[in-house]
Amino acid sequence: MWPTPAEWQIVGFTLVACALSTLIILPFGLAVAWPLARYRWPGKVLVETLVTLPLVLPPVATGLLLLKFLGRRGGVGRFLHEHLGLDIVFTWRAVVAAAAVMSFPLLVRSARVGFQTVNQRFEQIARTLGAGDARVFFTITLPLASRGIIAGIILAFARAVGEFGATIMVAGNIPGRTTTLSLEIFETVQLGHDASAYRLLIVSVIIAFGAVWLSEALMKRSALR
Amino acid sequence: MKLEIRRLSLRLEQFALEVNTDLHNARTGIFGPSGSGKTSLLEVIAGLRRPETARICLDDQLFDDTVRGYSLPIRLRKIGYVPQDDSLFPHLSVRQNLLYGTDGKSKRDTFSFDHVTSFLQITSLLGRDVRSLSRGENQRMVIARALLSAPRLLLLDEPLTALDAGLKKSILQQLRSLHHEFGIPMLYVTHDPAEAIEICQEVLILECGRLISRGNPLELLS
Amino acid sequence: MPKFPGAIFILAAALALPTANGAEVNVYAAASLTDVLKEIAVNYEKQSSDKIVFNFGASSLLARQIIEHAPANVFLSADEAKMDDVQKAGLIVTESRRDLLSNSLVIIVPNDSNLAITSADQLVGKTQKIAIADPRAVPAGIYTKEYLSGIGLWEKLEPKMVPTENVRAALAAVESGNVDAGFVYKTDANISKNVKIAFSVPIEKGPVIRYPVAIVKDGKNNGAAEGFLRYLESENARKLFERHGFIVRF
Repeated sequence: MWPTPAEWQIVGFTLVACALSTLIILPFGLAVAWPLARYRWPGKVLVETLVTLPLVLPPVATGLLLLKFLGRRGGVGRFLHEHLGLDIVFTWRAVVAAAAVMSFPLLVRSARVGFQTVNQRFEQIARTLGAGDARVFFTITLPLASRGIIAGIILAFARAVGEFGATIMVAGNIPGRTTTLSLEIFETVQLGHDASAYRLLIVSVIIAFGAVWLSEALMKRSALR
Repeated sequence: MKLEIRRLSLRLEQFALEVNTDLHNARTGIFGPSGSGKTSLLEVIAGLRRPETARICLDDQLFDDTVRGYSLPIRLRKIGYVPQDDSLFPHLSVRQNLLYGTDGKSKRDTFSFDHVTSFLQITSLLGRDVRSLSRGENQRMVIARALLSAPRLLLLDEPLTALDAGLKKSILQQLRSLHHEFGIPMLYVTHDPAEAIEICQEVLILECGRLISRGNPLELLS
Repeated sequence: MPKFPGAIFILAAALALPTANGAEVNVYAAASLTDVLKEIAVNYEKQSSDKIVFNFGASSLLARQIIEHAPANVFLSADEAKMDDVQKAGLIVTESRRDLLSNSLVIIVPNDSNLAITSADQLVGKTQKIAIADPRAVPAGIYTKEYLSGIGLWEKLEPKMVPTENVRAALAAVESGNVDAGFVYKTDANISKNVKIAFSVPIEKGPVIRYPVAIVKDGKNNGAAEGFLRYLESENARKLFERHGFIVRF
């Protein structure tokens, strides 16, 4: 009835890896969302397309691209393997990488909308009161955009937890090392361990509920009740 | 104070704002019908809008010189700006709003919090929620916030619209004695002759973006 | 809108076509048989009006699918355990079951690797990552675990293992260079140009590998299935199996 220690380990690992991936994409996501919300420049469409790509490509296709890039013979992967003896593919790092890439577009989209709804008059007033760009961004823009940003964070986290296709390509399904909640459900169904599969399913539902509840609670407490 | 506006030119929707003048009074009014360019003029002085051409100096500090491609950043202008629309930060408390412009400044460079709040009679409002303030309370709060940052010049854009007569009168009195109390000059934009006459030492009349006359408000507007 | 009914008609006709000409035989076979069975099917279809439709994958996954009543006609598993599972579920024609093939295990490394592995125990010191088909489920992985446990190396090598979904995925992992070595069937190593065999597990020392085949009960067109099964035991098929490196047991 109750999840086994091995199953708890998988749940714990998944939550930690996804929290980490969400944390990692947060500064980058905001850094990309803000200019997309505020400025126009030639080639902006290219940036928008690139950011949206993981959302529309089949996840295994994205996984394949990641495998080429992060593998021992790829660009980043080769550098890390040869100079630092560090591997990304088939390790927990690949789980975090796949989750980060797949959830990034959701964070950017939500944060962008958040920034767009900020009334720039408030930013101007803040400047007349002597605030520099950084202060304006952190004390005015960010709080006023917090609804969209929080929604983006929760969405990104949930997407990370549900990630499967890219993860299995680039991290494999190594028990105790890279097995995530999604991967384990897949495995237990394949092996016919239905009881385990259903236990993990229930945990997934609880996590999803928790994410939505947290998002609502945070938004209530945020700037614009 | 000495505000020099030279060859200011800015294209607006229907016409071009074109001003070439000097201002030196403590309380100067800018009078004109709606849409005559008054708000745009204030925005240019505050740095919120870039003119196409202009050379603007306040007390010998260069604000804008389009010939040299120079524009002083807003935050360095030390100009208090009270716009027409609601501008209190909705996500901060009343106190946080008021103190926003005093952040990081020494006591010497700002006015006393108690002095300003008692002068504008907002002391009793300090614990209130920003969204619960009436329009009159809101306006006094915005003026106080601008004042607390110890600006060199206060720009007010029709601050008394939508207020009842009694309230208008009391705030007008406060604004009139502001210079005497705090030593800060102001530019007061309005389309109400009575306000201009009550507050301003001198009034500039703006029509379709151009200064068509200036002088004593009583003479020009009654 | 007017085009809609027309499209439906064409679609229905297209779907009905194969059964009009000859039967379709759905063959569910272990991943390691992908290349050889495709060749055999091409030859078979030259002399029969039947069409062979394949579903390749890990035998564990295929067995599961058949137990869930997937429309298979023939099941070719890479180990007896998976065939037993299907048989226990009462889903095969028992008399049709027989051992068809055997295989052997090899250790492979990427083509450009300078690792010199001449026995399994050298994997301990010289490798960080070893690809094998999932040892919990997939026959190739189970055989490997059996072999390594038998020589006392499983515990030492398990932390290095990267389990893959089937044996061909293990092959691909070695080809990509993202692992240092891998365990696959000799027949898999033979088809790849990007890996080289570092060590062949001798048949006597290795695990007993058996590929049983059987006809799935209640499948449509079982007559055609029997025809294909007979062909698998023919001289032509034998030649092809042996050319690919399989050991024939009929």
